[in-house]
Amino acid sequence: MPKGAAPCVPGPRLRLEAAFSFLLLLAGVQALVPSHRLAARDLARLRAVLERPFTDVRTAYYSIVGLSSLGVRVADEKAACKFIKSHVDSSSVESLFYAAQAMQVLSGCEVTISNETRELLLAAVSEDSSVTQIFHAVGALSGFGLPLASQEALSALTARLSKEESVLATIQALETASYLSQQADLSSIVEEIEDLVARLDDLGGVYLQFEEGIETTALFVAAAYKLSDHVGTEPAIKEDQVIQLMNAIFSKKNFETLSEAFSVARAAGSLSQNHFHLPIVVVPDGPAAVSHHQPVLRLQVTNVMSQILTQVSVKLDQAKSVSSKATVLQQLPFTLSGDFFELNFMNVKPASGYYDFSISVDGDKRFIANKVELKVKVSTEVGITNVDLSTVDKDQSIAPKTTRVAYPAKAKGSFTADSHQNFALSFQLIDVNSGAELTPHQTFVRLHNQKTGQEVVFVAEPDSKNVYKFELDTSERKTEFDSASGTYTLYLIIGDATLENPILWNVADVVITFPEEDAPSTVQSKNLFVPKPEIQHLFREPEKRPPTVVSNTFTALVLSPLLLLLILWFKIGANISNFSFAPSTIVFHMGHAAMLGLMYVYWTQLNMFQTLKYLAILGGITFLAGNRMLAQKAVKRTH
Amino acid sequence: MRGPTALFPLSLTATSVAHAQCGRAVRRMRSAGAAMAGSVRAVARRFLSEYGGGTAGRLKALDAFLLYVLLTGALQFGYCLGVGTFPFNSFLSGFISAVGSFILGVCLRIQINPQNKGEFQGISPERAFADFLFANTILHLVVINFVG
Repeated sequence: MPKGAAPCVPGPRLRLEAAFSFLLLLAGVQALVPSHRLAARDLARLRAVLERPFTDVRTAYYSIVGLSSLGVRVADEKAACKFIKSHVDSSSVESLFYAAQAMQVLSGCEVTISNETRELLLAAVSEDSSVTQIFHAVGALSGFGLPLASQEALSALTARLSKEESVLATIQALETASYLSQQADLSSIVEEIEDLVARLDDLGGVYLQFEEGIETTALFVAAAYKLSDHVGTEPAIKEDQVIQLMNAIFSKKNFETLSEAFSVARAAGSLSQNHFHLPIVVVPDGPAAVSHHQPVLRLQVTNVMSQILTQVSVKLDQAKSVSSKATVLQQLPFTLSGDFFELNFMNVKPASGYYDFSISVDGDKRFIANKVELKVKVSTEVGITNVDLSTVDKDQSIAPKTTRVAYPAKAKGSFTADSHQNFALSFQLIDVNSGAELTPHQTFVRLHNQKTGQEVVFVAEPDSKNVYKFELDTSERKTEFDSASGTYTLYLIIGDATLENPILWNVADVVITFPEEDAPSTVQSKNLFVPKPEIQHLFREPEKRPPTVVSNTFTALVLSPLLLLLILWFKIGANISNFSFAPSTIVFHMGHAAMLGLMYVYWTQLNMFQTLKYLAILGGITFLAGNRMLAQKAVKRTH
Repeated sequence: MRGPTALFPLSLTATSVAHAQCGRAVRRMRSAGAAMAGSVRAVARRFLSEYGGGTAGRLKALDAFLLYVLLTGALQFGYCLGVGTFPFNSFLSGFISAVGSFILGVCLRIQINPQNKGEFQGISPERAFADFLFANTILHLVVINFVG
């Protein structure tokens, strides 16, 4: 894709190419980059798990075949062969499968198969066996080099597969098909790859795995590529999906079971050696940073198993500054030196800061994830120049006295800052190598009181001409200093992520005097952890009450109308001479008196519910008796 | 010479006439006031005599009770005004007891007055008394609940 200098008015063809390259760049920006791979450490861990001594045929199979996928041979092949031969169980199809596959990997390991064993294996290849049994039988027959009727096996497999829908069964079917002859029509099995891909779960756009776990996902990758290589058609897995599968499988760094380690080893093997998709990883040597001392950016290109690839060409498509978005370099190839691809970035004299590198790796059509974005830091060294210390008179009657200091010397004599004069500091920061002005992130002025240990830090701000200025006005800043007068040491602190030489420079001594009336007697360090003054709980004040004499008097006063009432009644002549001693009358009066008594008891002891209960009983009795009594009275009255 | 000397007895006469008139007016007013005061006293005496003679003993007993309740309520209110409302719930319950009892007593008096018989056909005095007792029970149940 020729990218060259775009003319001011692009013609229609160039516009189309510009649009296409823009789209490609966009695609490159959005394309997935592998986040996990088998680094050297992970590889060592995997090997350690696989190299454990065998306990039975199954573990032997896992170890031997797993190690061979990683390209590693077993330590003692003869011993392994003898172990398998002695431990194989001729009556179990599974055991025969493990033995056959393991022996196929080991060199010089032969065995003769009896007729019974062969019959057993052939009988297992039928519609009545499960997919796993068919897989084991076909694998064993293929491993021992025995003839196999591929068409029948295929029909048994497809029939069985339509009944068993589990992911593992389908994966085993894929691998079974890879043992069958290419003349059989394996397309129906090959289509299962696409179906399985649809069943993968996308986790955050970064990982793709089966819900059954990493082991199943790894086995799927191994089986899919094995079958695709066998039939010669590209598997229906998109590039982004391959990278997502890679992220998921190699995110597992600790292997709990041998079968898990085996599955990851086989996936690693198949992703580094199949005919269609080869994910590659671009790894910078150390941190991706260049400087004048280290002007060369070194990269390594590896496959998923961290095997270094050198038969490739690495090219820098574009290097853009992050801050200014200007393109600094375009279309520059890296040079191969040993195992590393190198580029001298400092040749273009870039300004310090961060740069986005777009790198592409070519050399094989099978490469995927071969367009990589890398953030490269360019560091430099800072120099401080034009450092001027001055005392400025507040009234501006006296001209400011300026002293120039050179880094790293300290200014001779001390400067004063008090109510008449301010202290001022100005300096410039430049890039030592290029002479350009710098504005680092940290430009601090630190004043340290030698006696009390207090320190106050200020930020020096640059003005429009990138000259840093700091002014100390004692009246404005007394709160920060707690009005503590004394001799302060002035330090200048310069720092940034892109600076190789951060600076802590004792510039001068400043005697600061604060107005006396504000000075505290002693400067205490604020101790936050002393006990605080105790809070006394204030109980609720009781209400103001009148003296007891007053309330007692009024109580007597309130009861006096009762006396008046009795006198009046006496005068009127009210009497109880009409009292009849009929039972209802007595009951009524007793009941009524009881109700009044209940009122008193309610006041002192009971609650509403209890009172209502008693009242109901007493009231009922009183009512009945009263009713009778009043009826009798009424009768007496009307007669 | 009939000048000032002639006027003198005239003025004297006028003054004395005015004096007499003035005195008569004052006397009339005083007697009216006395008559008013007297008439209030007469009204009161008349009322009391009519009351004493005209009302049944039962009603008089009830009236005495109402007076007692009124005084009790008034004294409670006076205490509250003078000394303070603490505790407010006790004051309220006492006052409401007085007011409620007064009202129920008035109702009873109206109902058992023989002169009102025409208006309370279905309610005999005994029934009125039973109602009075029932209402009082409920009132005092609430009052006791509230007195604290």
